[in-house]
Amino acid sequence: MGGENIDLKNIKPDKTVDARGTSCPGPILAAKRAITQVPVGGILEVLSSDSGTLKDLPLWAKKVGHEFLGYIEEPGYWRIYVRRKK
Amino acid sequence: MAGKMVLIVNNGTPDRLIGLAVLASGAIAQDMEVEIYLMLWGVYAFRKDILEKNKELIEHKELGSEVEEGLKRAGLKPWYETLKELRELGNLKVYACSAALKAWNVTKDDLFIADDVVGAVEIVNAAREAEVALFI
Repeated sequence: MGGENIDLKNIKPDKTVDARGTSCPGPILAAKRAITQVPVGGILEVLSSDSGTLKDLPLWAKKVGHEFLGYIEEPGYWRIYVRRKK
Repeated sequence: MAGKMVLIVNNGTPDRLIGLAVLASGAIAQDMEVEIYLMLWGVYAFRKDILEKNKELIEHKELGSEVEEGLKRAGLKPWYETLKELRELGNLKVYACSAALKAWNVTKDDLFIADDVVGAVEIVNAAREAEVALFI
């Protein structure tokens, strides 16, 4: 899913934000708030149960200059990974 | 520069204002500036004394309770709570039409958010200069 070969299953996020139970735009706003608490080069994990986040988060990351790494599907939600680039 | 989105709000029912909050969120998330321009019913809906009492929908009024339940199930906050959050997260400004304030006999201080008072020329110019301009 990401631009490089990253083993998402063994990834160690610097921060996890749990936005399950919210719908668009909740997970994106949670990611925007949380990314500032991740060091540059670090990884943010977003937990979302809203399928729209799978499209919105990569678009958001590209637009604001971060790197979308991919996602893992879990029962009823997704773990989505973004690397802070700036 | 991430650009600017202008939202001109002439409708004041919560079903329309949810759209306002969602679109503003999409812009603030990607660091766009957001300017909201309130016209007649927009000013009404932003009034502190109306804010939480304003429940009637403009479309399918008979579905009011169903919509309220559905929005809760979807985990959506009330539109005005989302706008408050966006003010913390990014650059969101709210401007009120001077004639609409006069029509409701209120000032900008009677609104839950309002940065300044504007006229029609300023609203049109703001829309002209923005990357995205929408009428709600």
